[in-house]
Amino acid sequence: MRSNHRLAATLILLALGAAGCAEIQRAGEDIARKSGNPRLAGAIHGVGNVVGSLLPIGYEEEVSIGQAMALQVVARYGGVVDQPELVRYVNLVARAVANTSDRPDIPYRVAILEHDSINAFAAPAGYIFVTRGLLKQIRNEAELAAVLGHEIAHVSQKHILDVIQRSKRLAGVTEAGLSYATSNPAAFKTVIDGAVKKLLDEGLDQEKETEADVVGEVFATRVGYDAEAYVGLLARLREPKGDDRALFKTHPNFSARIEAVQNTIQSKHLAATGVLLQERFVRMTKRV
Amino acid sequence: MRPPRMLRVALIVLGVGLFAWGAEAWAETIYVQARTAQLRAGKTSLDAVVGNVKFGDALEVVGRDGNWVEVKTSAGAKGWIFANKTASSKPSGTNDTLAKLGQSMRGGDASATTASAGARGLDKASEGYANRAGVSARDRDAVDRMTAYQIPDQEVEEFLREGGLGEYAK
Repeated sequence: MRSNHRLAATLILLALGAAGCAEIQRAGEDIARKSGNPRLAGAIHGVGNVVGSLLPIGYEEEVSIGQAMALQVVARYGGVVDQPELVRYVNLVARAVANTSDRPDIPYRVAILEHDSINAFAAPAGYIFVTRGLLKQIRNEAELAAVLGHEIAHVSQKHILDVIQRSKRLAGVTEAGLSYATSNPAAFKTVIDGAVKKLLDEGLDQEKETEADVVGEVFATRVGYDAEAYVGLLARLREPKGDDRALFKTHPNFSARIEAVQNTIQSKHLAATGVLLQERFVRMTKRV
Repeated sequence: MRPPRMLRVALIVLGVGLFAWGAEAWAETIYVQARTAQLRAGKTSLDAVVGNVKFGDALEVVGRDGNWVEVKTSAGAKGWIFANKTASSKPSGTNDTLAKLGQSMRGGDASATTASAGARGLDKASEGYANRAGVSARDRDAVDRMTAYQIPDQEVEEFLREGGLGEYAK
């Protein structure tokens, strides 16, 4: 590309950034193409995509990612539980917590995975999963609220989206696979498969798990659930047996997590309200 | 010597103006940090609902008492709101300006719902993914139903009330 082409592309890009309008990018491409300069049009398109790949992921894209990841989670875990009353109850607890979370303006939905392992996951755009095995370990509604608070925090802190964007940058991928979700489904599939591998097989970084614990604990206590409930659950999950060891792969170092939650309770003066709602939990989950 | 009448009037007007500006500048503003919230006539959940506000709405603080804040909306309506449903800084919301710009520059119409998926369903991108990844019809249906799942705000409110949660705490 000649240097004046580069300059023109840069100027158009700057105008585009300043105006905050992608229409300018398309208009620039159009003008360049019509004036018989396809290379310049290509350059504008390419530069626009580079910048686009560095900008945050928008909500509509997040929904695409969340849905695609949810499909894979359901497929890998053998389907979801079809018990309307139970599903409604878990969703009500999630809504109660999400409503006063730091990101209450998107829909959250919870499905129960038909699996006996002990785990929970959150995909972007509010797609949350808990396993039947985890529900069996929970003793009251305050513990369930804390687990859901943890998963809502992964969504509100955009942990998976961060993993996706960071991996693209590390790999030097300039064109966002997301932009080709429909026109280049192979690139989109690569992005999703990588994110699912991180979520289900490798687990998120310890730092993100701890942040989700701390933020989720705040979310659950904002509604009034007892702050100590989550500590009790984490302590019980620290010593799982058999197949449950899978939990350690995706949620490592429980002792550090318990300590972080306890520190948060102290530093933020989170209340031991005594609100556990054990009776309601037992009544609503008796068929788990 | 008294200042001329016009000057006195001007000084009074300036004084009143400064006072009003000062009051405005010092008024504390908070924001709704919940999907929806209710304004009540008093500072308990038993008091009548006098208005509804939504995520991101700006509210002027009139007073505080325990877990409740007395506020005035931009339309002038007054009421009490549960403090945990508010924040001192304006929430950025899900789609901030940069995210919108990025999405636009990446050219995404990814979320367009496919004709085959119906009104509630998977978007075009995730249905394409399901095809490529060989996701079964049963699992697609599960995510489809999950996407469509909704609980009315009123039922969530009733759930909170029954459990003595949020503003219904005993």
